[in-house]
Amino acid sequence: MKNRLRVLRAEKDWTQAQLAECVGISRQAVIAVENGKYDPALPLAFKLARAFGKTVEEVFLWEEGNDSH
Amino acid sequence: MNYVSHKTSGQNQISPAAFWGVLSVASAIDVGAGWLLRQPGFGTHARIFFALLPIPANLVLVAVIVRRIRRLDEFLRQAHLEAVAIAFLLTGLAVFVYGYLQKAQAVPPLNVGIVWIFMAAFYGLGYAIAMRHYR
Repeated sequence: MKNRLRVLRAEKDWTQAQLAECVGISRQAVIAVENGKYDPALPLAFKLARAFGKTVEEVFLWEEGNDSH
Repeated sequence: MNYVSHKTSGQNQISPAAFWGVLSVASAIDVGAGWLLRQPGFGTHARIFFALLPIPANLVLVAVIVRRIRRLDEFLRQAHLEAVAIAFLLTGLAVFVYGYLQKAQAVPPLNVGIVWIFMAAFYGLGYAIAMRHYR
């Protein structure tokens, strides 16, 4: 699953630490999600999307056959 | 900052100071109990009491650690789960191999008191492997 976290974060001029604090997760989690190494569960995906005022579909992009790490 | 912080699951965490405090007390009791057990002149009942002395403080330590883990975010919980799995399997492998070496009379009998050191070391290794994987 791909995501636009890095781009959206850059648009808001937020650091990874600021996004982590905003959503209530660790900075390591932000790094892992941004790098596509970790796919968040739905509640966290919603939280991340809402932090940017977006829907989940606007932030996370599902690609068939690309779900393994 | 132009964002609003959400209420997080990280609130009401046990502070690092409290964690290290409980760990220090538990460790001190462990060392003290070990020292008492090495002293001559105590009867069987006293020695059993000394041997069981570390249990309460270590149970508190277990509760503190479990509480901390429950307050981690989902990503860190997964990383710690992988670390536990790696530590469990490697400790099992190490004990298994040591048992066979004992049968071959290549090593002295295993002091079970040091097995937890292997677990802790393998846990650290497992956590490092997990974090490297997700970086």
